[in-house]
Amino acid sequence: MVTLDTKQFDNWIDRLSEDKNIQQIKRLTEVISSDAEPEVGQTPKEVIWTKNKSKLYRYQPAIKKTNKVPILMIYALINKPYILDLYPGNSLIEHLTNKGHDVYLLDWGTPGYEDRNMKLDDYIVDYIPRAVSKVLKTSKAKDITLLGYCMGGTMTAIFTALYPQLPIRNLILMTSPIDFKDAGHYSNWLDKRYFQLDKLVDTLGNIPFELIDFGNKLLNPISNVVGPYISLADRVENEDFVLNWKLMQKWLNDGIPFPGESYRQWIRDFYQDNKLINDQLSVRGRKVELANIKANLLNISATRDNIALPQQIAPLNDKVSSKNKTLHIVETGHVSVVTGRKAINEIHPYIEKWITDNSK
Amino acid sequence: MTQTTSFDAFTMWKNVYEKTESTWRDAIQDTLGKESFAESLGQIQSQYLQYQGFVNKMTESYLKQANMPSRDEIANVASLVINVESKVDDLEDQMDVYKIDTSREIEQLRKGLNNLDKKLDKVIELLDKSIVAQNTPKVTDGPLTTTALNATSTKK
Repeated sequence: MVTLDTKQFDNWIDRLSEDKNIQQIKRLTEVISSDAEPEVGQTPKEVIWTKNKSKLYRYQPAIKKTNKVPILMIYALINKPYILDLYPGNSLIEHLTNKGHDVYLLDWGTPGYEDRNMKLDDYIVDYIPRAVSKVLKTSKAKDITLLGYCMGGTMTAIFTALYPQLPIRNLILMTSPIDFKDAGHYSNWLDKRYFQLDKLVDTLGNIPFELIDFGNKLLNPISNVVGPYISLADRVENEDFVLNWKLMQKWLNDGIPFPGESYRQWIRDFYQDNKLINDQLSVRGRKVELANIKANLLNISATRDNIALPQQIAPLNDKVSSKNKTLHIVETGHVSVVTGRKAINEIHPYIEKWITDNSK
Repeated sequence: MTQTTSFDAFTMWKNVYEKTESTWRDAIQDTLGKESFAESLGQIQSQYLQYQGFVNKMTESYLKQANMPSRDEIANVASLVINVESKVDDLEDQMDVYKIDTSREIEQLRKGLNNLDKKLDKVIELLDKSIVAQNTPKVTDGPLTTTALNATSTKK
């Protein structure tokens, strides 16, 4: 009879499972492959209006609203708006509603192939004015604060310039490009001579999220593609870090297609022809003049932003007619302006205070 | 004395990453900023779109032969639904305006009626007073006046 002594092997296996590296690899594998995705957008909300795929939400309707002026947030046509309400304790919307503000969000939804002909004009003229009207009606307020993030801020600025007769008291733009004279690498890549815009839109209809994501990651390929995994491996034992990592990865990889005609307009009129800052942009036949903006303006620019560069943001303050205008520069990136430790500790309270001060 | 340091794979990966990133960062950024890079991107894009266009045509042709609706046809149906929904939304908005107008008109009408009511009350009050004044005999210091006498005789 042959007996096999496996004791040594078992001991080795036991020791192996106690090894720090092995534990880290195990946890890393779990986070990447089997961990459940965190739940995002948890602040209670109700839908008060819908149109096509768009929804207008009102947040925490049960909480007493101590601020008279409601806030309407207008999001971009890229990615999903839950970045504004990422996670309890890490949410601009939650922060504002907890302080007694009446917060609304216009979520464009996920466009289908049938929406490929939707232009920016349609969103700006057919959707935003109605959303503003619904907010004013629901809140029974006399005026409104508009807050736009990224491209949503550019659309909000155009809307405010087109409708000076509306009671827009405050305008807050977060990393919203206005001047496209120097848009970094995008200016080079979207050069009319090489970038085949019409062929792209005509062939694909809507522009897939993957294509837009590819462009964004290409801005800084190593740190955008490999960097997050190195950081995760380095700090995988820190559960708070892992949660935030998972939240960011979820949002970054949860994109939506860009409606074809809007994309054509966005690239041609903005990146290639830089019409907005030069008062050459027309929306449904109406000229957009930024000087028509008279609302109190808070324009937020992030120094480490490589999507909406600081030089694309600042020129707005010289164009508007607002008497009360602030250019607030923060040491963050394009996304960390709205989420993360610095946003929670500094930017959210700053925005809240600015709104409160300008809503009396 | 010998010092033993345990091998840490994660620290090694991190160091390799940081060194690679810092070494290549500038070179990569320079390349990305070159016109030739944009030109190459354009060429890749062109080839991809040519392939995608071919796939689209083939798929459409197959679906036609198989008697199945194409993506465009399904999208057209979706557009019709969206248009109907849009009209309902327009109607809802108009109803809102209509409701506001109607309630404003009703309010004005109500105020008008109230005013009319008050005016009528005044007229009735004045009439009552005048009737009372007519029916009341004028009492003087002396004997009954002619008017009072007449009123008394009429009652008889």
